[in-house]
Amino acid sequence: MAPSDVKPAVPGESLLAVENLSMSYGHINALKGVSIEVHPGEIVVLIGANGAGKTSLLETILGIYAPAAGTVRFRGNAIGGISADRNVRGGLCLVPEGRGVFAGMSVLDNLLLGAHHNMRNVKKNLQRVYGWFPILEQRGAQIARTLSGGERQMLAIARALMSNPSLIMVDEPSIGLAPIVVNGIFEILSMLNREGYAILLSEQNAYKALHCAHRGYVLETGAVTLQGSAKELLADPAVREAYLGA
Amino acid sequence: MQVFIAQVINGLSLGSIYVLLVTGFNLLLLVAMIIHFSYPQVVVFSMYIAWLAMKFTGGNVVVGILAAVASSILLNLLSAPLFQKVMKKRDEVDINSTMVLSMGIGMIITDVLSHSFNKGFPISFAGTLEGNGTLFGSGLISVSGGQAVSLAVGIIVVSALFLLLYKSRAGRAFRAIAEDPNGARLVGIPIVSTGFASYALTGVLGGVIAVLLAMLLGSASPGLGEQVAHKVLAVSIIAGLGNLVGGLVVGLALGILEAVCQGYISGSWSNAIAFVIMLVVILVKPKGLFGIKL
Repeated sequence: MAPSDVKPAVPGESLLAVENLSMSYGHINALKGVSIEVHPGEIVVLIGANGAGKTSLLETILGIYAPAAGTVRFRGNAIGGISADRNVRGGLCLVPEGRGVFAGMSVLDNLLLGAHHNMRNVKKNLQRVYGWFPILEQRGAQIARTLSGGERQMLAIARALMSNPSLIMVDEPSIGLAPIVVNGIFEILSMLNREGYAILLSEQNAYKALHCAHRGYVLETGAVTLQGSAKELLADPAVREAYLGA
Repeated sequence: MQVFIAQVINGLSLGSIYVLLVTGFNLLLLVAMIIHFSYPQVVVFSMYIAWLAMKFTGGNVVVGILAAVASSILLNLLSAPLFQKVMKKRDEVDINSTMVLSMGIGMIITDVLSHSFNKGFPISFAGTLEGNGTLFGSGLISVSGGQAVSLAVGIIVVSALFLLLYKSRAGRAFRAIAEDPNGARLVGIPIVSTGFASYALTGVLGGVIAVLLAMLLGSASPGLGEQVAHKVLAVSIIAGLGNLVGGLVVGLALGILEAVCQGYISGSWSNAIAFVIMLVVILVKPKGLFGIKL
């Protein structure tokens, strides 16, 4: 795709800036003052175990939950507390955990749902997505349930692209997939990044994720405990012990 | 043979009305996440409004149709905030509170109709919406102009509705929320406004159904809504709750079954026969013929 197709970030600012974000489900504090940043053109990974708050963070950024405190700025605008559908319209998108496609709907319907707020460019975007993932064009009429796990993850990513996002958030893309399929998914994410997309990724599979990311944050019980470049994190003894099994 | 053909025609027009009612009920179930058991009462109320409007305009059919559609949209949109208010669970169908509210709305409508319109006597659309003249007759069986028109309109409306559901942007959003409300929210489908859109669409639909029913039956009584509501609930359960395609097939089948029964068996046994068959189906297939999609 031409870089001009990506909604440009406001120059001089980070694409996404989360500051001191807190969020709770009732009495349970899921996020306790999280600060992260994503710059244009970056892949940033959130590493953390189950229940560390990765999904809560991504979904709060998207606007599913209202923050209890802190700010979320996306392309220079404060978006904390703004609904998810408005944020998707504004260029944010989330590929949900567990290959969240609509299993009972066709592949094409799934893609078109991603274009719900962007029907004007639907033909162009379909062609572009089909160029990257020809198998989705062949399977357009097929019900998504009949796809393999890897193909479903591919469909979920492709659906997100249909909204012309400037930041793609991907929640645990490797979960439940065979290692070789996981490699394919990370290759897709790297390819999209080379095409100009910024990506915020959450992963338990820290080794592979850090190998494709530029920077990373380690999340533990709702707070950032460590941050740095992917290289630094890969070399960090605490990370190696807790997340790389070394 | 003529009797059979005439009754199949009648059955198809009755069936297409069932299909529209069941689809409206299912849409509210799937997208607005309410059990609107009394949706048919809203439709029958709109028949009365059409009758009233035509009475005051000297039988102006266009005014009658517009009045029915307006009344149904208005009733649906007015009840929407009530439903939203009583719902505790907005991510899934909240059976208890929405069903009680819906039954309440139905009872109020039935009471209003039996006290405040035509002194509680059945109303008649004879000679206006029903259409004059018989297209063809054979003994007691005949197909009137109104019945033929209602069949044609019924088929067109059913087709248009299913095209909208399966080929349009709004229909896609409806089906996405129906399948997975949380997933729909994550891809940026606005849940609340799409929910209200389903109230509006079923409102329009209710008005159209009211006109079709008036054309087919030629009359209405305060108890009609409740009678139809039982059938609509039965059809949607037999087909599989929330199953749009199932509702299409079973709705048409029930219409034809009832009409053919009326053609060959004297006395009004069609309801009893239909319910016996549905009872057998639900015993054999508790989740409905086409499976629950909820």
